[in-house]
Amino acid sequence: MAVIEIERQMLPMLGSPNQGARFYNPDLPQTEPFVPGHRTCAGCGPSIQYRMTSKASGDNTILVGPTGCMYVANSSYLCTPYNVPWAHTQIGSAGSFTAGVAAAYEAMIRKGKWKGAFPNIICEAGDGSASDIGLASISGALYRDHDCLIICYDNEQYANTGIQASSRTPYGGMTTFSPPGPMVPEAKKLFPKDLARMMAAGHPHCYVATATVGYPIDLMNKVRKGLNHKGAAFLMIYTPCQKGFVYETPRSIDLGRLVVECGLYPIWEWNHEAREYDYSFRPQHMRPVSEYLKLQGRFGHLHAEHIAKLQKFANEQWRMMGVEVPEALVRATNPETIADMASAEAAAAVAHTV
Amino acid sequence: MSTKGTHIPDWLQVPFAGITPAPSQTKGQDLFPTGNWRAIRPVYRDKMPPCNNACGTNEKIQGYLDLVKRGKYLDAYALIKEDMPFPSVTGRVCYHPCEQACNRGQYDEAISIRAVERFLGDLGQALPKDVVQPGPPNGKKVAVVGSGPAGHSAAYQLARLGYEVTILEKSAKAGGLNRGGIPDWVLPKEVLDREIERLQELGVTIKTNVEVGKDVTWDDLRTKYDACVLAVGLTEPNSVRAEGEDKDGVLYGLPFLREIGMGTSTVKLGPRVAVIGGGNTAIDCAREALRQGAEEVTMITVESGKHEMPAVPEDLHDMLEEGVELMHGLAMTAVLGNGKVDALQLHPARFTGAINASPIDVDRETAPAKVAVDNVIIAVGQHAAIKWLPDEFKTERGTIKIDRFGRLGDTMFFAAGDIVQAGTGRQLMVVNAVGDGKRVAFNLDKAVRGEPQYERMAGGDVITDLNRMNMTYFPHFPRVQQAMLEPSSRKRTQDEVILSFSEEQAQEEANRCFSCGTCNACDNCYLVCPEPCIVRLDRSNGLYKILVDYCKGCRVCIEECPTGCLEGVPELDFDTGVVRMDTAFAITPGLHGRQAAELKTVADRTKEI
Amino acid sequence: MATASMAKKTVRINGCVASAQAAKYSDVDVITAYPIRPYTATMMALAQMVANGELDAEYIVADSEHSQLSIAHGAASSGARVFTGSSGVGVHYAYELYSPISGSRMPVQMMIADRTLDPPGDFGSEHTDALATRDMGWLMGWSCDAQEAFDNHLIAYRIGEDPRVLLPQMVCQDGFFVSHITTDVALPDSGQVKEFLPPYKHPYPLDPRHPVSHGPQIMPEQGPPLQLERARAMEGAMTVIEEAHEEFARVFGRRYDPWIEEFMTDGADVVFFMQGGHAVTARHAIRHMRERGAKVGLVRLRTIRPYPTDRVMASLSRFKVVGVVETNMGLGSVSSGGSLYAEACAALYESDKRPLVLSFMAGMGGEAIVLKEFYWMTNKLLEAQKRGKIEKRTHWVGFEE
Repeated sequence: MAVIEIERQMLPMLGSPNQGARFYNPDLPQTEPFVPGHRTCAGCGPSIQYRMTSKASGDNTILVGPTGCMYVANSSYLCTPYNVPWAHTQIGSAGSFTAGVAAAYEAMIRKGKWKGAFPNIICEAGDGSASDIGLASISGALYRDHDCLIICYDNEQYANTGIQASSRTPYGGMTTFSPPGPMVPEAKKLFPKDLARMMAAGHPHCYVATATVGYPIDLMNKVRKGLNHKGAAFLMIYTPCQKGFVYETPRSIDLGRLVVECGLYPIWEWNHEAREYDYSFRPQHMRPVSEYLKLQGRFGHLHAEHIAKLQKFANEQWRMMGVEVPEALVRATNPETIADMASAEAAAAVAHTV
Repeated sequence: MSTKGTHIPDWLQVPFAGITPAPSQTKGQDLFPTGNWRAIRPVYRDKMPPCNNACGTNEKIQGYLDLVKRGKYLDAYALIKEDMPFPSVTGRVCYHPCEQACNRGQYDEAISIRAVERFLGDLGQALPKDVVQPGPPNGKKVAVVGSGPAGHSAAYQLARLGYEVTILEKSAKAGGLNRGGIPDWVLPKEVLDREIERLQELGVTIKTNVEVGKDVTWDDLRTKYDACVLAVGLTEPNSVRAEGEDKDGVLYGLPFLREIGMGTSTVKLGPRVAVIGGGNTAIDCAREALRQGAEEVTMITVESGKHEMPAVPEDLHDMLEEGVELMHGLAMTAVLGNGKVDALQLHPARFTGAINASPIDVDRETAPAKVAVDNVIIAVGQHAAIKWLPDEFKTERGTIKIDRFGRLGDTMFFAAGDIVQAGTGRQLMVVNAVGDGKRVAFNLDKAVRGEPQYERMAGGDVITDLNRMNMTYFPHFPRVQQAMLEPSSRKRTQDEVILSFSEEQAQEEANRCFSCGTCNACDNCYLVCPEPCIVRLDRSNGLYKILVDYCKGCRVCIEECPTGCLEGVPELDFDTGVVRMDTAFAITPGLHGRQAAELKTVADRTKEI
Repeated sequence: MATASMAKKTVRINGCVASAQAAKYSDVDVITAYPIRPYTATMMALAQMVANGELDAEYIVADSEHSQLSIAHGAASSGARVFTGSSGVGVHYAYELYSPISGSRMPVQMMIADRTLDPPGDFGSEHTDALATRDMGWLMGWSCDAQEAFDNHLIAYRIGEDPRVLLPQMVCQDGFFVSHITTDVALPDSGQVKEFLPPYKHPYPLDPRHPVSHGPQIMPEQGPPLQLERARAMEGAMTVIEEAHEEFARVFGRRYDPWIEEFMTDGADVVFFMQGGHAVTARHAIRHMRERGAKVGLVRLRTIRPYPTDRVMASLSRFKVVGVVETNMGLGSVSSGGSLYAEACAALYESDKRPLVLSFMAGMGGEAIVLKEFYWMTNKLLEAQKRGKIEKRTHWVGFEE
């Protein structure tokens, strides 16, 4: 019997039609696999990402939803916003359920039980799933190189259960499991796991990259790159959560840019062929971390020394990317140059009414 | 069997194993219209871009720049032609109040709008047939007195409305100030001639060498035509009332330029020429003098510095590049010489109040300076020659008295241009005259048809605050500069000094336009919506629709809108017909049963992938 | 690449390999493996089959049992026939998945070679590993030898994938006693399997051409109809189970009662009630005791989920005393012994003629239940019969007089 060759989709990159002063978005695909009528919060960062990801992927897609906001909020109650197949799985099963879908399609197409191009298989795991309980299953899926894309939508906390600390919660990030108090003035003492680098370092044959909702076209192109890659791909995408971060709702995209401009979320790609990191992404500006922190209530308790510590961390990230740290940002690691978050000038108005 | 005899009631029907069929991309997940969560609803409300607002004839500048961005040059040209008959002219001569108002100027550099308009105007001139047609004839005759910018504009709009228009021009050639007040090296005569030709292609008759008050009377106008537009301009030069002003070699600015423009000039300038005046006409005279053979040209102004001169800064800069000397704070009090000028007497002077609009205080106590010159050109403004006008319609300033619609009392006479704008505080420039001529034409038409007339439009919500837009989406980019001829050579020729944009340059410059307050289909709102509940209806003209059933009022779209055309409207009463959701269930009973039924047919429906 | 075509033959294999053969005959699409004794041998055999090209399947070495079952869930949801397995604590590492797989109606098949639960490590067989999951909605039953194991795997696919059922199956066998003891197994030819087992086709798989969503979040109010539906599926399976066994007998020529096997129960006063491999020893013991005049028989439970309540009641009501052999731990249970006792008693509760019921903790830790112990147990049953009363609900065999 003839060997059946499995046809894999290759999606083109979205280019900006004109460089320079023009800011038009490229001609975006028409299809909307993610439709309105879901019960996520207004301005939900992960939803914005989900919509962009599914649009980039197209209709020949299967989505996997481990427990988290992108399961519960999206599908409450007994409804679905997905116009492509989607399945819930356990919070720890992100990588494994996805691997099962990928393996099934390899077998079914090869054995002539299903006809068509290999579907784009995307797992959308929150950081709680990807960085904690589902870490092993994702690592397993990456190591075994199943043809799938695993996305960690990183809102830096367990959001769906009411905002608890995960191993992605930043230093100083208030959550209900890391509240500030006299014993813990910074609220969260621990710096987060560098999840994306773990995945790149541990599975160098995979496509790994970071992205944020602040740069939508970059995000969509990375999704497509991951899907085009024959084998496993992993994306860690910063997706702000209004509930947990406590910011003015319209700023979801803006925060996605600010976090990069402050050096707290380096954007890079792992080049699996050359086996090296591509740090060429540069945001428009470089800002001190306080510009980012002051917009969010979850950092409202920070003192100067804590902010300085975060600035030091940010400066290390810049250096890692090969960016020279300007004098102002070096100075900002000295607590004496910084105001506490609680002081009126430092904190921007968070509750803004009509 | 414990499940024997069990029955699931209709309202509790759920699909098999909780498996739900996919929702529709067009209808959304209609079990849960999440729209009733919001307190603010986004709406698309185009604001007035400052360029459109500042333009004397309210050209749709943002609109045509947007079309140029997309490479739709013909559409852009047609858009200009709605309000401006001769973009090739204004693309060269306009003082561009639009560029002064351009918001990009607050960010890096204003858009070079005039240059883009010139590019489009020249493109239009090259068309074998113009895009504008005369309107269906309505059998009415209108006379337009004066073929300058105001008259040309009025005649143009009236022809498009279907009137039989006759222009009466007292000079030998049509064009008014376009021909007589603007040098060839700014506006080549071929360009102007072509525009006049275009006007005649619309069926407008131009009668030259016809002067009202000499060849034609007020009553002729009143009886032979159904209505009349007086656009006679300010043709008589002002005097500085200096001693000896009547000597040979003393010239006046406008006539000097006009005769050169008409081709009838017999002036031979000596090597040393002085120009009195600090405005745009004075600058043109100074530069023209160089081209007419003067070796040394000195401009003498009462204004105390460059900043006070009412001239366009670029033109002043270009003049200085060509080597004209500039003297400030001086008034010419006497012309010295024996029958012919050979020196000027200058006393220190200053304006007593507003620059160029108040009496001059001359300090005769200080000893005067003397400057040897062969010619002096006096360019300190013009006044009207309207002896033929009935006195009831004359103002104290010597202009025509009109009501706020541009009409002379109850008559069917209207007036437009410098002849009514002088002294009102509006700057006297071509584009303002064009705008005035346009508005007067429309009001004339309304008066003829017995309909109410309109005053000059107010600005509406003019967007000038960059905080209302989102600057993140605009990288800094320098202004594309038009090429220019080299100063030392150009001052000896009548060649056009400023060169045209190429197509690439025009597009590159149009790309810098923020599209202030006006949707230009950038797709940002469409892309960032979390629901998504922004639908693209027709991307090419920027129409989007918000699905109010689902919009939660997060306002991310408003924040990320680069142009500021999206705004938030408070919505607390849910009067848009959105269904309130009181329970966590689907909004009406049985919807899950519907899902159950739909699920069963999933195998029968195949989605194209 | 196609799975090889096979002809009838008899081979000498153990229970693990028999299970592997069954998976091969069933042309499974996806296999998920994770090593833990004693079931590992099944996966080792399958790995070689795949490597040899005898079976075309995706063979996945998972990173844990939890992942094994999740991969299986994902694959079955996509429309692939899946085979997996585990033993002991491995079965429990995957526990989170059992209800989701069953509730989402995915017919995953799991081979379980029983192993005592920790603590401490003990490779020997107790049934607690699988029994502890019995309420999760999987079809479950024990085989007593390698042939039955092979057959049960095929029958389980047939039942589980039936569109009226769509439930996952745990096909269990005692570790070592079945899994690692070699016996003769008659293997069919592929044509018979093809006739008996239709291709797997889920009505609503994850297929981009027919998009559906599996498992959206619900409100409590939406729970009851879904739970009712699961219960209906499990009960409705009973008809299909009977059909399948009937069909199996027709195609393969081996007939099994779907629910219970009665051995020498004619005229018996006392019976052993048990499941699994120790029944083989029990049969020998009963034969010997019958020769000596003891009226003892065996009722072997073949399917424990769905529990054949009426059959069990009808059967056990014919006897005077029932001795439940518990090779499992039900700590703190009704009988302070194992778990089977309570279910047997509940089945008998509605009967007019309830026998005496007692239980025996035997074969614990994977120890063999030797003939002597069966004789001892039989004595206890006969004593109870004579007394007309049980001594106590649970006897610890080997630890009492």
